[in-house]
Amino acid sequence: MFEFLQYRVEDVMTPDPVTVTPQTRLRELEALFESHDFNGVPVVGDDHHLLGVVTKYDLLRAFGLSTQSIVPHYDDIMEQTAESVMTADPITVTPDLPLSRLLQLLLDRHNKSFPVTREGRLLGIVAREDVLKALRRATQHGEVGP
Amino acid sequence: MSTLIYSHAACSRHDTGPGHPESAARLSAVLEALKGPGFEGLAWREAPEASMEQLTRLHPLDYVERVLAAVPARGHVALDGDTVLSPGSGEAALRAAGAACAAVDAVLGGEARTAFCATRPPGHHAEPAISMGFCMFNNAAVAAFHALAAHGLTRVAVIDFDVHHGNGTQAAFLDRPDCQYLSSHQSPLYPGTGHRSEQGVGNIVNVPLAASSGSAEIRYAWSKQLEPALREFAPELIIVSAGFDAHYMDPLAGLNFTEDDYRWLTRKILAVAADCAGGRVVSMLEGGYNLEALGSCVAVHVQELQGAA
Repeated sequence: MFEFLQYRVEDVMTPDPVTVTPQTRLRELEALFESHDFNGVPVVGDDHHLLGVVTKYDLLRAFGLSTQSIVPHYDDIMEQTAESVMTADPITVTPDLPLSRLLQLLLDRHNKSFPVTREGRLLGIVAREDVLKALRRATQHGEVGP
Repeated sequence: MSTLIYSHAACSRHDTGPGHPESAARLSAVLEALKGPGFEGLAWREAPEASMEQLTRLHPLDYVERVLAAVPARGHVALDGDTVLSPGSGEAALRAAGAACAAVDAVLGGEARTAFCATRPPGHHAEPAISMGFCMFNNAAVAAFHALAAHGLTRVAVIDFDVHHGNGTQAAFLDRPDCQYLSSHQSPLYPGTGHRSEQGVGNIVNVPLAASSGSAEIRYAWSKQLEPALREFAPELIIVSAGFDAHYMDPLAGLNFTEDDYRWLTRKILAVAADCAGGRVVSMLEGGYNLEALGSCVAVHVQELQGAA
């Protein structure tokens, strides 16, 4: 019944996720999103140190109308770097965070995922889908249990 | 009297390169709309080139020379990220500004009460010494200064309903109590100017509209802010910076005006003109980048001008 409360982030996260560097071009980033089924990707520096997160939303935002030019320069924007559009110093979670707390954080922040770090180093990614899977697992026993 | 339409084939030879939204196809869409049924009564005029005297009332001579010298003998040259020139751009820009001045001459000379300049490049982003936003010379401001200097008027208003703020016209009028600039525009959007607090010497009225604003918002803005300010100024001539990119199908912005809003706005402008400017309205094309919408919006705008002619 309350098995979910026992789960922690490290039980369900995706360890060693795909990452990009600050210099990754938006063109490469778009290709990455095209070939993987995730919404955002961590931006890491040396020693897997987390610098930021870049999402599909960030990528789209780069092509939005702005006060800088009357028409977006689509080709040039594709050559911009991940660093220029990423969310720097993103909200992170630790691997030992209870999953119930993570669920609440997903609701409060409307994020689709959070990087999992320890002392600034990226360990994994935990996403809405991971929590949903954990919820299913935690409640399957309930159907047949005492 | 007929409504005068000023245009010139040279305005189609301003080639901004493949895929550029400020294209010659825009002018074709406008001309096609104005050659359709219901427009048989229009009086067509060839747009002359603006004279140095006309241009330099607003633009410093070295700016005019620099812009014309930048026109390439072949290929394309970008004055900035948005503003691209081709070999035909110099003559097109001179004729766009010249059309505005000729329309002022004709309307003030009594040949017509209303005129529309089907010309490009547009002008309202061009500041006295800065070209930007597809614009080389500020056609509306050049025309306003022409009306003052060559015809002895003392009050000229420019109404700008293009979706982008006309930073160039505002810059031209900043310290000119004999000119009024009224603008409704999406904000935030290019070029980032047009805040309510930008009021010049009390002669600038900016009404920024949030993304997704449409009929209700523009009609309210006109009735509560733009029309009262315009009537108080009591211009002797109204110049319209007629951009149609606030239309709900335009690709470069996020307002939701309809053809009926442009008809309504044009009627309202004409009503003020009838009351204080002898009905005299000189309108000129600025933006509008959905070709279908541009054609239909220009059609309703000119229908109204014609109805008041």
